[in-house]
Amino acid sequence: MDKLRLDHIMGQVTKPVRYMGNEYNMVVKDPSQVSIRFAFAFPDVYEVGMSHLGMKILYHQLNERDDTYCERVFAPWVDMEEKMRQEDIPLFALETKSPVSNFDIVGFTLQYEMSYTNILNMLDLAGIPLLTKERGEDHPFVLVGGPCAYNVEPLADFVDLVALGEGEELTEELLDLYGEWKDSGESRNAFLERSAGIPGIYVPSFYDVSYLEDGRVSEIIPNNSAAPKRVAKRIVRDMDSVYFPERVIVPFMDIVHDRIMLELFRGCTRGCRFCQAGMIYRPIRERSPEKLLELAEKLVRSTGYEEMSLSSLSSSDYSGLEQLVRQLMSRFEEDRVALSLPSLRLDSFEKEFIEEMQKVRKTGLTFAPEAGSQRLRDVINKGVTEEDLVKTVSDSFASGWNSVKLYFMIGLPTETEEDLKGIADLAKLVKDCYYQTDKEKRQKGLKITISASSFVPKPFTPFQWEPQDTMEQLREKQQYLRSALRIKNVDYNWHDSEVSYMEAVFARGDRRLGQVLLSAWQNGARFDGWTEHFNWDAWNKAFEDNNLQPEFYAYRRRKKDEVFPWDHIDTGVSKASFLWMEWQKAQKAETTPDCRLNCTGCGIQRLGEGLCQ
Amino acid sequence: MRVLLEYTREERVKYISHLDLMRSMQRAIRRAGIPIAYSQGFNPHPVMAFTSALSVGVTSEREYADIVLTESMSIAVLKEQLNHALPKGITLREAIVIDEKTPSLMSLIERADYELRVDLLDKDQTRQAEIDWNKAIEAYENTAEIWIEKKSKKRVSTVNLKDGVWDIRIDQENPSLVHLEMKLGNKGSVKPDSVIHAILKLSEQLPNPEAEDLSDLRVSINRTGLYFQRNGKWITPLALKKY
Repeated sequence: MDKLRLDHIMGQVTKPVRYMGNEYNMVVKDPSQVSIRFAFAFPDVYEVGMSHLGMKILYHQLNERDDTYCERVFAPWVDMEEKMRQEDIPLFALETKSPVSNFDIVGFTLQYEMSYTNILNMLDLAGIPLLTKERGEDHPFVLVGGPCAYNVEPLADFVDLVALGEGEELTEELLDLYGEWKDSGESRNAFLERSAGIPGIYVPSFYDVSYLEDGRVSEIIPNNSAAPKRVAKRIVRDMDSVYFPERVIVPFMDIVHDRIMLELFRGCTRGCRFCQAGMIYRPIRERSPEKLLELAEKLVRSTGYEEMSLSSLSSSDYSGLEQLVRQLMSRFEEDRVALSLPSLRLDSFEKEFIEEMQKVRKTGLTFAPEAGSQRLRDVINKGVTEEDLVKTVSDSFASGWNSVKLYFMIGLPTETEEDLKGIADLAKLVKDCYYQTDKEKRQKGLKITISASSFVPKPFTPFQWEPQDTMEQLREKQQYLRSALRIKNVDYNWHDSEVSYMEAVFARGDRRLGQVLLSAWQNGARFDGWTEHFNWDAWNKAFEDNNLQPEFYAYRRRKKDEVFPWDHIDTGVSKASFLWMEWQKAQKAETTPDCRLNCTGCGIQRLGEGLCQ
Repeated sequence: MRVLLEYTREERVKYISHLDLMRSMQRAIRRAGIPIAYSQGFNPHPVMAFTSALSVGVTSEREYADIVLTESMSIAVLKEQLNHALPKGITLREAIVIDEKTPSLMSLIERADYELRVDLLDKDQTRQAEIDWNKAIEAYENTAEIWIEKKSKKRVSTVNLKDGVWDIRIDQENPSLVHLEMKLGNKGSVKPDSVIHAILKLSEQLPNPEAEDLSDLRVSINRTGLYFQRNGKWITPLALKKY
């Protein structure tokens, strides 16, 4: 890498600190002293990627290995990309500024469907052939993991290896194997075959997909004897013994989540039917309070952060939450570390607690009723009631909070105007709660933010058979809410329906979409998740040129026994006996209780015996 | 106890912004376990003040921050612990105790010195610019007033660049190194790259005469010190040392 040239362009772009590295706790190694160079690539900008807990864990874990140097790579922002192309600067890793093409493995994390064009763009900037079949013995292996890896089919032509499930143990096994393979001098294909023997590793090129005339999948069968018929995800069993970093990189720039993230548990027992995370991260596994306190202590010392969040899918469900929060509070009050609890559920939020949290510093209050009416909340199995909301916001206002954010979704299955009206009614109700609060106690300047995203049906959820609302329907609903929410002290936010549409297409997409992705990228699509960069024309043209209809993926109601493009992937949750049954119950607005109370028979025990009670 | 810190911002971290730097210093102080005082009020923050912001991309040999501690501690220990906790590329050079009543550094500093190098780049390699600095400085001296546009967030104003400069001169040993002494203060200062741009333009040495900035050139700017006057003499903030 020509460092002078790189330095010259960094002087001309916005936020050059994104490309600088050298942060506190960055791992420094001599690349010539390791046998495996691993590039952990996040297909978005630095400030988004550095906020991701999975990257922090794997980066520090892989660097514990003497044979490996793991470095970070992010998507260059558009101005940087332009300069890099002008000056022939290839995609580089932050630690050593080495070109990514020099690495052994490039691992992308797939957090969001709309980051896929960034992956192609990054591979192209790295000078790595986009298609797996065009990669030779000297090219890095492209590995992907993360939530979108469960249906990776639209990326099947571009990725060599897919890691399904939790990466801590799986990645170690893969790197052990890589080390052996590298010494053996065997072919590239031999490594893929040997990798396919590791539980949780999926090699897309080892499977053939055939289609029916109407475009539905007919069957998916292995074409290589090394490949299992179905690939099951990996689960870490013991959260106390699994690796968790005791020091993390402290970025110079202000990133999206600039704080210590303490992971309380994995999985979620609530069973919200729209929520893919709640289905794919099963079963529930908690870290012990002792381990968490120990980690918190070390992380506060090693980072100097002034804020810590308790991050899990539904943090307030942690068994010993109250006690844990109390202990963390008393331990770190003197050090002025603020605690924040994201993704709070209304029903487990006690007044005393709110006051406790406030002692150190104020953090924003957010609630997610998700739907406006009790009927629709029952359909989606979000077991939260109006009374819960009233009680919690009233307590919060009395404790000095004056700003509340409420999250909803529009376009949920079975939604009617009544349900939309319910959103506006809830906003008014929250406002009433504020004005009913004692004037002496409440803080001036009420602000209620209503954020309504468009529902995207995701694979491996009970709603995977259902169509998404059309863009027209979504726009009408947004319009309705806009006028219904023209209320003083209330702000209304919504999402672009085109972006949600493309997200729905790729979430349940098949391999044929790889061509569309490639065309869209060639037409200039990138940073599609960023409203200012989403390029609708690029996508439209890509579908037309490849003779595929996005409606087929987003707007089609599937039959019970349709073969899905992701059916050869096993998340442990059963399609026929759990997801389909949940969908039937949803249509009758029947709820399913929290599986901490009683096993709901989702099937996960098959993969991890003894994890559920 | 009020302590003045003198630290560097080196090449490897030169792209951090002023805000990034303040945050990094705060976190380093927390990691070092230095008993910094916090402000009173609704949202308490550590009591620390910085001198004028250094532009993104500029290195510095001497920057200053002024912190208040809740209890006294040995300066030697403070230096050792803080240096250990700072990111590589920010080095604490000196720490001194100053009088609690010392006015803010920001209000004291009147002069910032810089060293500049300018190279031309060609497509394949870096090569030394054939800039005739004598010619550039001569053009500067022979022009009574140099009016430039100065953009701030709110508006564009026109200022006489010469009002913002104490002195420009070529290094006695290295003819490609230029020393700039810039005025700092309430009246609003001029950035060193504006001076370079203006004098290269005046002496007709810009590779692209229409260019409004220096992006065709490779410019390295290094701040070497900050000064204020006392009894007609220029002194550095370290002269504020109480004991």
